[in-house]
Amino acid sequence: MNHARAEVLTARERLASIGWIPGRSEYFRHLPPPGMEVWLGDGSEMSAADPVVHEPADAGWTLESLGTARQGLVEAQWLDAADATQRSQLFAGIAAPGDSDADRFAWAHQALCRRGLRLRIGGGKASAEGEAGETVSLALRRQAQTALEAPTLVIDVLPGMHCVLLETHERGASMDAVVQNLDVHVTLGAGASLQHLRVATPAPGDRIVHRVHARLGRGARYDQALIACGSSYHLQRTELDLHAAQGSARTGAALFAAGTALEQQVEVLHRGADTTSDVEALVLASGKARAVVNAYSRIAAGADEASVRQRLSGIPTDGQPRLVLRPHLEINHDKVQAVHGATWGALPEDALFYARQRGLNESSARALIIKGLLTALLERSLGDPDVLQTLGVDALLGNAAARYLAAGKELSHE
Amino acid sequence: MKPSEPLLEVRDLRVDVGEQNVLKSVSLAVPAGALVVLMGANGSGKSTLGLTLAGHPRYKVVSGEARFGGQDLLPLSPEARARAGLFVSFQAPPDIPGVKNGLFIRSALNAVRESRSESPLDAFDFLASARTAAAELGLPDAMLNRPVNDGFSGGERKRNELLQLALLKPRLALLDEIDSGMDVDGVRAVVRLVQSLRAQGTAFVVVSHYLQLIESLEPDSVHRLDQGAIVEDGGLALARDIARTGFVRAPALAEA
Repeated sequence: MNHARAEVLTARERLASIGWIPGRSEYFRHLPPPGMEVWLGDGSEMSAADPVVHEPADAGWTLESLGTARQGLVEAQWLDAADATQRSQLFAGIAAPGDSDADRFAWAHQALCRRGLRLRIGGGKASAEGEAGETVSLALRRQAQTALEAPTLVIDVLPGMHCVLLETHERGASMDAVVQNLDVHVTLGAGASLQHLRVATPAPGDRIVHRVHARLGRGARYDQALIACGSSYHLQRTELDLHAAQGSARTGAALFAAGTALEQQVEVLHRGADTTSDVEALVLASGKARAVVNAYSRIAAGADEASVRQRLSGIPTDGQPRLVLRPHLEINHDKVQAVHGATWGALPEDALFYARQRGLNESSARALIIKGLLTALLERSLGDPDVLQTLGVDALLGNAAARYLAAGKELSHE
Repeated sequence: MKPSEPLLEVRDLRVDVGEQNVLKSVSLAVPAGALVVLMGANGSGKSTLGLTLAGHPRYKVVSGEARFGGQDLLPLSPEARARAGLFVSFQAPPDIPGVKNGLFIRSALNAVRESRSESPLDAFDFLASARTAAAELGLPDAMLNRPVNDGFSGGERKRNELLQLALLKPRLALLDEIDSGMDVDGVRAVVRLVQSLRAQGTAFVVVSHYLQLIESLEPDSVHRLDQGAIVEDGGLALARDIARTGFVRAPALAEA
């Protein structure tokens, strides 16, 4: 048996021994995920005899440059997780999962992962030419390949490099329901930055888990903006490790749940001094949607002058959705700043009336205001309106908001 | 609309806000192209009248009627009233985070144009006219790219109301203390715009406390609102009298 196959079996055995996420889990109890069998399949997906039967060599990832940065700054490797050598390359530097509730997804991922993409920003042919400080803008599109899959994406941004990345997820309209367990690992070297826009808008019957782990070096910056809509089950989980001094992270999420299930979890660990984090989310929910936002920030002992901010908002726009917003802080050091809050409310009535008084009908006014609130949130999370323009946020957000409002309208007629 | 019918006719309008009766009985007629000034102490019901006519859902018409352009105004939605040509400026215009001012105004303008079966303005055509209008009002182009009223000063918000007025070109505009918070140049811009739109046929109801602005606007009539009812009608002399003596009237003076 090769090493890759052994790791797959180990992952399966580990899951079998620790069991699936318990129903009483503090993190997952508001929106319990489907059972282990959904994420593992029946075992036929990972046959040693036929290791690459389902997925093409690029594993459904398409990489394009968005800007005019010099060629050769990006090294991309499409790696086969069924091959022992390539599997080692794919998971190099990534710690093995533990036994936490969320780690069950990581074990399931290890058991099912077939292929992955590894990007090194600043690691290409031009790396020796002193390119630190340059900005690389990329679009990374993933097309779901099979009904059950566990793709991997690893991004290493080398010290001093800046990257702007648009990561979108698509699926063929003719595909049946997709089950996807995606792992994204981001490592930022000292002084590096990544402005990361992620778009995940699955079909209503899909079951999706995306987990992003970002580890920030000294003075590094990670800004994540997320546009996501609900489905049969959709979890977006981000873990941020601010282990070095002066690391800084922001996340902003525009979440849409029209009669569907959607959860965002953001876990931030402040270990370094002078680290800052800012977690913001706005979830719109309608019909009988179940939407949860869990923000957990932990300031470890010794994280002097750490600064934490969490702001979670929910707006039920129609029907009787269930909205759970949970800002949570754990502070183990004295000299820190922490602010958190959660608000539920309606769309601003005064702004709605104002727009209607100028001639917009109610649905147009609502759409405009919703898109505006979310645009402002994503601007705050990416910190630069020009980046939003480069990434085409206006159209991406407009499409997601329009789909949400159209689905909400259908639900209200049911 | 009959030729003899005023553009706006309000009869015995009684309005509640929550549990409170704010307008007791207001009657007002505004002919097409006329400029009417409404004065009154704080809390007399001036803004309530404007927001009621605009169709604000918190303002409940208990009795009375309002006709605009020959049709019953009160059953219409706020947007239908706007599309019929009624513009109400806000005393405190709200901000709309994330929505660029230019996009907001163009969306509103095109909604109104669509209701008139006119083709929509594309971004290029709109920008040209918006820049011209903004320059005439002393607003920098950059205001079109900023979110609606977000971070605007009080004066900038009022100028932004004027910009929308200039581009929407309504049949009747109710300006609620448009001069408050404005500098001298801003007030001059109000006068210029009102004169320009009046020349094109727009009627105005102007709510203001300041005689200098009222005199500059050369109103056709001036009305004093007190405790939810119009208690005095007149011309500029009434405005000058109020400016000199205030809103509190001795019984004998009011009867005179």
